[in-house]
Amino acid sequence: MNAVAEDTRKVVPFPSAAWFAELGDLMKANRARQEHLGYIDCSVAFTVTDGSADGLARHFRVVFEEFEAVDVAEVDAAAAAAADFGLAASGATWRAMIDSIAAGDGRPALTQTLNYLSHMGTPLTLVAADPLKSDLYYRYNQSLQEFVNASCAFHTVYSSAR
Amino acid sequence: MSVRVQDLSPLPVAANLDDEGLAQYEATYTSRFQVWAEVLQRNVENIHRGSYSLHWLNTDQANWGKRAKPSSRGMTYTDINRIRGYGDAPDKAEWFNFAPRGAVREPYRHEMPVIEEYTVVDKGELWADNVITLYEEAKARQWNATRDIPWEELEALPEDLEKATCQLCTFLTEIEFAAGDFPAKWMYRIPQDFLEVKSFLATQIMDEARHQEVFRKRAIAGGGLLHAAPGFEWALTAILNAPTHTMGTFLLNLLGEGLVLSIFRSGEMIAKTHVDKEIFRRCLQDEARHVSYGVLEFKNYLDTHPNRAAAEEQMHRFCDIGEQVVLSAFVEPALIEPIAVLLGGGLKHIDQGMEGVAHMWRMFIAEYQQRCKAAGFDRSTRCTIPAEFPWGKAA
Repeated sequence: MNAVAEDTRKVVPFPSAAWFAELGDLMKANRARQEHLGYIDCSVAFTVTDGSADGLARHFRVVFEEFEAVDVAEVDAAAAAAADFGLAASGATWRAMIDSIAAGDGRPALTQTLNYLSHMGTPLTLVAADPLKSDLYYRYNQSLQEFVNASCAFHTVYSSAR
Repeated sequence: MSVRVQDLSPLPVAANLDDEGLAQYEATYTSRFQVWAEVLQRNVENIHRGSYSLHWLNTDQANWGKRAKPSSRGMTYTDINRIRGYGDAPDKAEWFNFAPRGAVREPYRHEMPVIEEYTVVDKGELWADNVITLYEEAKARQWNATRDIPWEELEALPEDLEKATCQLCTFLTEIEFAAGDFPAKWMYRIPQDFLEVKSFLATQIMDEARHQEVFRKRAIAGGGLLHAAPGFEWALTAILNAPTHTMGTFLLNLLGEGLVLSIFRSGEMIAKTHVDKEIFRRCLQDEARHVSYGVLEFKNYLDTHPNRAAAEEQMHRFCDIGEQVVLSAFVEPALIEPIAVLLGGGLKHIDQGMEGVAHMWRMFIAEYQQRCKAAGFDRSTRCTIPAEFPWGKAA
């Protein structure tokens, strides 16, 4: 009889601050890789535009400093707007990206990278007050891509509302 | 099979020396410059006498005694610039030799050489408030085009897509060394007191060398380099020939690299392999640093200029011609057609791809104007590059 390998990975809900905090922990655990990629100094507001049970936006701010995510929190719209830049998309868009990362064992499909999704302004929207802030998204793009790619290390479950 | 020394071809005859150049050098150091010989004589005599000087132990005029402490990142320029006497770049450089800022140098001024090529002496012509941050970031985020790209995974593409990819890489190979030549040309004209700017420009030169390397490798790994183009060349020479450091930095870092950043972002989006995605993602990070320097260098220039209105008008005049010459690169079929093929998904879908090019064009012009605005320069009513991609307008 063939035994089915049990999935012992941690289960983390999305969207939630816990999901982003888990990515932060993985970043810390993989410090050598972060040091190879270089400093990342910015605050990013990840927004799920229909992330709440009643279809409203939820914002998660991650503050990156040197080689770590030093602060992760769910914030209101005003605090999200104060971040260096934001990345906003529907729950379905985030889910497709996260599922693609999981299916690729940490490497999303060609059409599911952060830059692919955001380059034309949709379905992922880059929000920044000025071009110097939006340039931070480009300056740290590889680090941000690997930040979300690390989600393959755990099992993401999605809220039933979205 | 081993190679025996006696079987090797003889070494080439040494190239003829430039006798005239050598004679001029000899004359310079025997007739024109005398001080070095006096310094040499004095020091040799001291050595012969067995006489110590030990003047270098005297700290009366030195910024001696307060030790710099590293931050969590290590010892950065910011950390050492906190120590009194070391951190202040002058508004106008007065030292035209290699004596380090903050060292005891005044007593030796009369015996020091003067580097006549140090001509960019105003802080307003080169400084940017983010230059130290960008320098540290550039060092920390260096990557290696030989090892950091998963070359072994590169797959052959259908011929039209492979040729489009290789043509795009040919264009990028052609432009990247000019983007290194420009900072190299000006770095040599910047005095040592602006060490932070010189250091950053050195990283930009390294970045551009790596970009040229990675795109050349990608093209040759995919079939080969394809077509160079005169439109690219004229745009590049317009940057190299810019009359001032700020004007050239505007044209290269703010306009040109802003556009190349858009191309890198598009390249990542339209990449047909993970290898190409990684290449473009790595490059766009470097390019964004150069753009950030360009924006704040230009802002600093305008903010510190004694006659801002005149400076702005002069920049508008420069942009009127500079934008047009740079545009000559970005309407080259050897650039826009391969992008359209990649965007459309093949030669058969090039028309569809052109719609994507039109979208990218609008986006680029908007970003260019936003960057000008961030520097305090309103180019919105005077930009000579059309806001809409003029594809088929005459049809």
